[in-house]
Amino acid sequence: MTESHENPGPVKPGTRPVLSLQKISKRFGAVHALTDVDLDVHVGEVVAIVGDNGAGKSTVVKVMAGVHPQDGGTIVFEGRPVTIPSPGASQDLGIATVYQDLALCDNLDIVSNLFLGREALHGPFLADGYMEQEAIRLLRTLSARLPSVRTPVSQLSGGQRQAVAVARSLLGKPKVVILDEPTAALGVSQAAEVLNLIGRLRDSGHAVVLISHNMADIQAVSDRIVVLRLGRNNGTFHTADVSYEEIIAAITGATDLAPRRSS
Amino acid sequence: MNAKQATPGSQSSLRESNRARIVEAIKHYGGLTQVELAGATGLSAATVSNIVKELAVAGIVHTTPSTRSGRRAQHVTLARTLGLVVGVQFALRHMRVALADASGTIITEHQLPLGNDHRADAGLDRAALLIADMLESVDAMSTDVLAVTIGLPAPIDVRRATVSTPGILRGWDNVPVAEVMRKRVGRPVYVENDSNLGALGELRYGAAQGCQQAVYIRVSQRIGAGIIIDGHVYTGAQGTAGEIGHMTIDEDGPICRCGNRGCLETQAGAHVLLESLRGSHGVLTMRDMINLALEGDLGCRRVIADAGHHIGIAVANLCNLLNPSRIVVGGDFARAGDLLLDPLRDTVERSALAGVAESMEVVTGTLGDDAEIRGAIALAIDKAGIHADVGATALEVPTFSYETTKEDR
Repeated sequence: MTESHENPGPVKPGTRPVLSLQKISKRFGAVHALTDVDLDVHVGEVVAIVGDNGAGKSTVVKVMAGVHPQDGGTIVFEGRPVTIPSPGASQDLGIATVYQDLALCDNLDIVSNLFLGREALHGPFLADGYMEQEAIRLLRTLSARLPSVRTPVSQLSGGQRQAVAVARSLLGKPKVVILDEPTAALGVSQAAEVLNLIGRLRDSGHAVVLISHNMADIQAVSDRIVVLRLGRNNGTFHTADVSYEEIIAAITGATDLAPRRSS
Repeated sequence: MNAKQATPGSQSSLRESNRARIVEAIKHYGGLTQVELAGATGLSAATVSNIVKELAVAGIVHTTPSTRSGRRAQHVTLARTLGLVVGVQFALRHMRVALADASGTIITEHQLPLGNDHRADAGLDRAALLIADMLESVDAMSTDVLAVTIGLPAPIDVRRATVSTPGILRGWDNVPVAEVMRKRVGRPVYVENDSNLGALGELRYGAAQGCQQAVYIRVSQRIGAGIIIDGHVYTGAQGTAGEIGHMTIDEDGPICRCGNRGCLETQAGAHVLLESLRGSHGVLTMRDMINLALEGDLGCRRVIADAGHHIGIAVANLCNLLNPSRIVVGGDFARAGDLLLDPLRDTVERSALAGVAESMEVVTGTLGDDAEIRGAIALAIDKAGIHADVGATALEVPTFSYETTKEDR
């Protein structure tokens, strides 16, 4: 492997990562889920985290989302070392996480889902008009194809639901959006919608972290690819430079790109 | 059509604009129930119901009974008495699939990003699945499809329907594209170079309308051209005419994907421009580069201007050969407008024969990104042998635009 693949540097030189995980470790009993994992995320880029089952992709997401605080290592957000002890803390920092199951209420319409738990009030009453306008504005920035914001979520397609979940995550004006397997279990046209959505998130200046199994999707939308293998980093690539075969080799361990640490 | 429009502000002009709104919404979503239409257009349910009835009588839309939340509902789609055509465009980093009616009006479309060096099998598979999905969304069957046109960003041997030069579109070499796709969709499939389709699109619906002699230059990840001679797209003996990107600009230049030296693409292809920005700007995408240039970034402006200059040399040679009356620039870089076109014009003026350059204008395409897909649809309609006039509907809706097409080339 060439050296440039081991440390390709940031996508845009001179920019500081908005979120940086440094030497993150996480243990569950005897299981070392993560060992010294590094991850930098910059504004306006899509970073894909790939790896085999049990490589630690979901654990990294849960560390960033505050579900499982790390055992060792530091998290730096916008240049400041921070702790993320809870999901609330993660959201307050400006990290929004969209999980695979989306956590939407099927019986409620799109507006109610978007503002669930943080309804806008006008005096003692719900500010329905405001929420509806805000929902329309948000969904329009995502160019989501939705018939009406008063449609119950149960009637939406998989891609439309994903759009609603992403829109909800954008309500708190996050800087980092984490998407966990957003195209899994979607049909091809809905997956297309979601991939376009990821591109628009990137273009609107968000940092996007994408977890996916689908190599074609990752190659299509990501700017950098971070490979995890058995809870360790096994290479970081610029998507523009790397072939499908090289990524598969890094995932399976056919090439060993784990950073050597003297300590 | 405009002459017949009602006076603004009158009752009938309001009705007309509401009608247009409903047709737009149906086009946008493919098919909707009346209740969803009311939500999408902001019109009252009664208005929607009345207008849909009117449009159905006029043969513009088609209604089928369905259910929504357990209640009876009317599913509204655009009428397709003559059948449908499909245009598929594969670019280097995305694909686009559009379903159109016999008048060439796009009913519904999808875009899907693709990775570097995408493969034919996966791409065609996804295209076929998208077509099936889209047909379902407008309540049509695959037998309604009259023809499918696939546009590829590589020189195409039209008779064998394969990429004629290996290495230019890796992953598609030696794939009998039409045959593979015909097996998937079960309908006639035609394969054409994307720049030729862009030229056809601009010729029928865009900036080359009415031109007898014109050249369409597609500047995107790659550079290609579609040549219009005597009002028809000229494809050459085998179908590979117009590969301006592989015109030799520097005989001692670097080796190109095609195996030759110093092709235009090794000087002005997007990957070369991006590579030259890597030291100063990092890893950009083509869209980032164009956006930055439009925002005034000097480095990005400079590489685009240099590209315009190099393309200008090739265009000047082409002009001396063909003496076109109009050069239409399309593709993603057309968005950069005069940042690309001014240096291109300067070089053409300097390098082409004096009389040639003066009798010719360089303009950006009016269809933008849609040129190739509209061309694909126009070709499919031509191949299917429908004349667009038949698709004309009794009731004129302002948003419907259909063109009188010339005979198949």
